[in-house]
Amino acid sequence: MATLIPDLSMFSRFARTFQPGEMIFSEFEPGDAFYLIQEGRVELVKVIGDVEKTLDILQPNEMFGEMAILENSPRSATAIALDTVLVLEFNRKNFDILISGNPQIALKLLKTFAKRLYDSKRKFMILTLEEPEARIADVFLMLEEGQTDIDRTTDRREFQATVDDIAHWAAMGVAEAREIITHFVAQRRMELFNDKIVVKNINDFSRFVSSRRRQLV
Amino acid sequence: MPKTVQYRDGAVIYFQGENAADKIYLLQSGNVTLHYQDIETGEHISDPVQSGEFFGVKAALGRYPEEENAIVVRETTIMIFSVPEFEQLVGSNIRIIMKMLKIFSKQLRRVHRQTANIMEKEGYDPKNPEQGLFNVGEYYLKNKRFPQAQYIFGRYLTYYPSGVNAGKAASNLQIMRTESSTADSPAATEVPGVKRKSSIGQVVAEEAGSATAKAYYDAVSCISQGKFQDAFMTLKKILDDAADPEYMAKSSFEIGRCLFMMNKFDECIQHFTIMLTSYPKHPNLPDALFFIANSHELRGKKDMAEVFYTKILSMVPDGDNPVNKKAKKALTALGKT
Repeated sequence: MATLIPDLSMFSRFARTFQPGEMIFSEFEPGDAFYLIQEGRVELVKVIGDVEKTLDILQPNEMFGEMAILENSPRSATAIALDTVLVLEFNRKNFDILISGNPQIALKLLKTFAKRLYDSKRKFMILTLEEPEARIADVFLMLEEGQTDIDRTTDRREFQATVDDIAHWAAMGVAEAREIITHFVAQRRMELFNDKIVVKNINDFSRFVSSRRRQLV
Repeated sequence: MPKTVQYRDGAVIYFQGENAADKIYLLQSGNVTLHYQDIETGEHISDPVQSGEFFGVKAALGRYPEEENAIVVRETTIMIFSVPEFEQLVGSNIRIIMKMLKIFSKQLRRVHRQTANIMEKEGYDPKNPEQGLFNVGEYYLKNKRFPQAQYIFGRYLTYYPSGVNAGKAASNLQIMRTESSTADSPAATEVPGVKRKSSIGQVVAEEAGSATAKAYYDAVSCISQGKFQDAFMTLKKILDDAADPEYMAKSSFEIGRCLFMMNKFDECIQHFTIMLTSYPKHPNLPDALFFIANSHELRGKKDMAEVFYTKILSMVPDGDNPVNKKAKKALTALGKT
């Protein structure tokens, strides 16, 4: 933290703590504050009908809520503390002061945006697939892209994810996601464990998704 | 040091999908076009880069594959930066960063809007934030995630105290509060001390009642001395103990007053809104509305304040009534008479 953003001590009076499970803000609320995580993780979710979809899990040093500040619009997602979370909370006026006085923070925010833009586009690509099976397969492709330090010489991939997680990312009901995953298991394309899901041939999924995506063009 | 590179017409600076992008480009002279497909429609899009504009920024900063084909149209000069070189350059120029931030923000909004459009087709309506907020609350209530639900219904009442779902939000909150207070403290329904002295029902009730009355008047006395926090705690306990309906109603009003005095305007609005729903015939109803109106005014929401001041005048038409006078005066101050 200190190396990235050196002069935050003057902002300590904006510190706030949230307990695990506590809501920081809800989607659709008018937004007048943005947050810089100092400790703990924050989950960004969207509730769509009967489904809660995880958008992102943010770590210390990351920021959130800045879009409502930059564009004066309601919150586009719900933020919930996963751990005991310590944040600095800034309002619109302080945002300008913070940014103009701290190029490092502005640069950090620029990087955050770059990452978030890419992630949002990637997640949006999942939703453009009409076939639910293709959506589920694409969720695994997205998770695979985010895996680092794995052996890519084989086609087998392990994911520390549950059916609920997959359903969230695919923006569909858990029951529907379970049915599709069970079907993949029956086809021997996948193995389902309590704590992980194994995709036996990730390239097979990749071919399947790109064939469905091409129809879109 | 950044390198200056010349390109010929038709040259490709980078391809879409090229991995581990780590360069940022600045068009100095000539012509470059970025080619990519719209994610949703698959439509081919060509964006010309302006002279003096950076490109390839997002991929390099985020360490992602390139997002487009960057193709040179005629003789062109480009300056190529590594990420640290770029950071050094813009780090001293906040104006460039702010400009890029706004562009990124706009692009992010666009993706979110597209996402919302798809979700809307699947039964999601982002155009109505009021209903949206309420629905999110209902989701958490249905899934028994009470702290989240409580937060949302509380915020709903703060932002939309006269919204279409205000009554439902208030009653949901009441139900959850009652449930959590009984769950948290098994002895909550007992009045400690006094109640255990007697085993005769009637006497117990009276004694409990008088203890509650005493606590209530102590709290009122604290308010008059400006000890709002102390009063608040005592009154809150009267509500939680739920021993005497009469003093619960009275305490409910005084709690709202304390919140107002402590400048907790959001919470004041929220509290009185719940009170209006729980006690639709509360003798202090017009005064509660006055606190709601005044809180809105102090939060800068003059439109909302006007709505509530006007409502008071319709409820208490008698021009000699103090609360009528206060509301009229406030409306005049807002320039609304």
